[in-house]
Amino acid sequence: MPPGRRFSDFLHEIQQIEKSAARGEAILQAFTRHTPFESGAVYLREGTSFRLSAKTPQWIAPEILDADPPNDVTPSNGLIFVPLRTPRECHGAVTLADGGQHSEEDFETLRVAGALLGAVITNQRMAQEMREGDFQLKYRLWELESLYDIGLSIAATLNIDELADEILFRTISLTNARRAALFLREGTRFKVYRSFGDVRGDFLDDELANEVVKQGTPMSFEEGADCIFPGCMAFVALPIKGNNESIGVLAAADRETRDGGIGAFDTNDLRLLSSFASQVGIALENSRLHREALEKQAMERELELAATIQRDILPKSLPVVEGIELAVLARPARQVGGDYHVFFERDGVLTMIVADVAGKSMPAALLVSALHAAIHLLFEEGRELAEIATELNKHIHRWSAENKFVTMVLVEIDREAETIRFVNAGHNPSYVISDFGIDELRSHGLPVGILSSSTYKTQTRSFPSGATVVLYSDGITEAEDVNGEEFENARLEQILEQYRNESPEVLRDRIAEAVDAFTVGAPQKDDQTLVIARTAR
Amino acid sequence: MNEELRVAVDRRTNGAILYTKGYINNVGGEEIANRAYELMDADVRTLLLNLRETKIVNSIGISILIEIIEKMIDKGGKIAFCCLTPVIHKTFQIMGLANYATIYENEEAAIQDLAL
Repeated sequence: MPPGRRFSDFLHEIQQIEKSAARGEAILQAFTRHTPFESGAVYLREGTSFRLSAKTPQWIAPEILDADPPNDVTPSNGLIFVPLRTPRECHGAVTLADGGQHSEEDFETLRVAGALLGAVITNQRMAQEMREGDFQLKYRLWELESLYDIGLSIAATLNIDELADEILFRTISLTNARRAALFLREGTRFKVYRSFGDVRGDFLDDELANEVVKQGTPMSFEEGADCIFPGCMAFVALPIKGNNESIGVLAAADRETRDGGIGAFDTNDLRLLSSFASQVGIALENSRLHREALEKQAMERELELAATIQRDILPKSLPVVEGIELAVLARPARQVGGDYHVFFERDGVLTMIVADVAGKSMPAALLVSALHAAIHLLFEEGRELAEIATELNKHIHRWSAENKFVTMVLVEIDREAETIRFVNAGHNPSYVISDFGIDELRSHGLPVGILSSSTYKTQTRSFPSGATVVLYSDGITEAEDVNGEEFENARLEQILEQYRNESPEVLRDRIAEAVDAFTVGAPQKDDQTLVIARTAR
Repeated sequence: MNEELRVAVDRRTNGAILYTKGYINNVGGEEIANRAYELMDADVRTLLLNLRETKIVNSIGISILIEIIEKMIDKGGKIAFCCLTPVIHKTFQIMGLANYATIYENEEAAIQDLAL
């Protein structure tokens, strides 16, 4: 092969070394193939030393060069040192066996090859540095974009489960962690809500939780790391702050390094997580408020439904009974209570019932509904008042929840006999107003539904023509003013005395006006019911 | 949630599809690389990575994917991705993978375009 061709092939092969993975072997092959030297070794820089990278078989070479390579091709002690360098840096050297048969032209070839190889390696290193720099730049951009996206995406996610997944995924990918866990406050402790990878126990260690919450910023742990993630050597934990307190703790573990190992989290990770946690806190608070708003909506729908149930079962009109005037007031509180009233008329005898079911909202409304059905069945069977009350007691006690009971007063006006029969089961005393004064129909039994063995007896009083009976619920006498003072029976009795000769309608209106005037500015806390009947003279 | 990556290979007449499930991190990335290099050594020159069941990728996983792409380009082949989550799609765009590998919205479009 002509020398010129051999030299150009040598240089071409050196240029191709840039793409070779086994660089030392490739360099050695190029030098032994295209020069008269058949044996040797290649040393490449590793940090501050020059380490053996490749050698020909049977060639004895030290692992590390004991001195830096010379600046130029140099024969020494049976070896020829070919530095692989540029004017500014040395990448290594090729050592070749010097058999003494070399020419000056061979030396020049080695010099050019060494310089070219130095330039190739420099280019390769610079290209690698540029690639890494480009990657790092893009990676920082990705971090920033991720933080921005996190803000948008988690702010738009109100579902707590989706939000927790998003938080974990972002935490892991941003920090190169292998494991992560999101703990949310449950009382005084922090419970695992979501985890990626193994987590120890259901709750965060209390001591650790206190330390993280107290610190208020991300903390990197190497001691005691195993307490959250089994087998973990290092982890980071940071509090998630809500409006008033720490609402959660985010922890990540096993930060990967490029060489396949696991390392501690660095300051950049802590800074990133710190920015991240503030957005997570806002998102979790938004999610909580959204959940509460939904619950409130559901409660309002329930209240509305309960109110509808109660409205539908109360009498829509008053019965017409000869010789008896009637007036009714039924004002439900906003939070539905359990006031109930009903009338029955049979053979000129008027029966009136006012009841107050314990509790509020839907449970109370359902009990009122059950009470309504039972009363109608019993009355239609022709039962008398005491039987009705006794049977209702058994029914309510058996089928209702333990804390459910009903106070009720059942009154029957017999105009012909000029008597009033009644059963008062734990209800407020009703009033009878006649020419003889104001009399009370006091309770003479437990509220219905408390004791299964309760029985009731009907009591009878005189009810002369022109007398008035007033039934009411405690929503009237316990109506509160803005200071929490109750209306009380004394005020009611004063009105009854003052308007004793007025019609039931007038009496009702005066009582309602007095209650309204007393409670002005205060919310109505309970249902208010008034049932008033007067017989003609 | 499971953090280990699993890779399934579907050899096709004109290439192969790699299905990943799990976290593309260092371990996961190396698993993909091993499968991809085996296929390259077997003269497969078109690879489609279906990431439908991958929700997370970290920076080390990305750098390994870049290495795989570079190796395939050196061999004159091509690599494509499909079924990426919006987060991973944006990540690939920012990190430059989209400059060297085509990203398809779904597998059908990828198979048709790559003639797999």
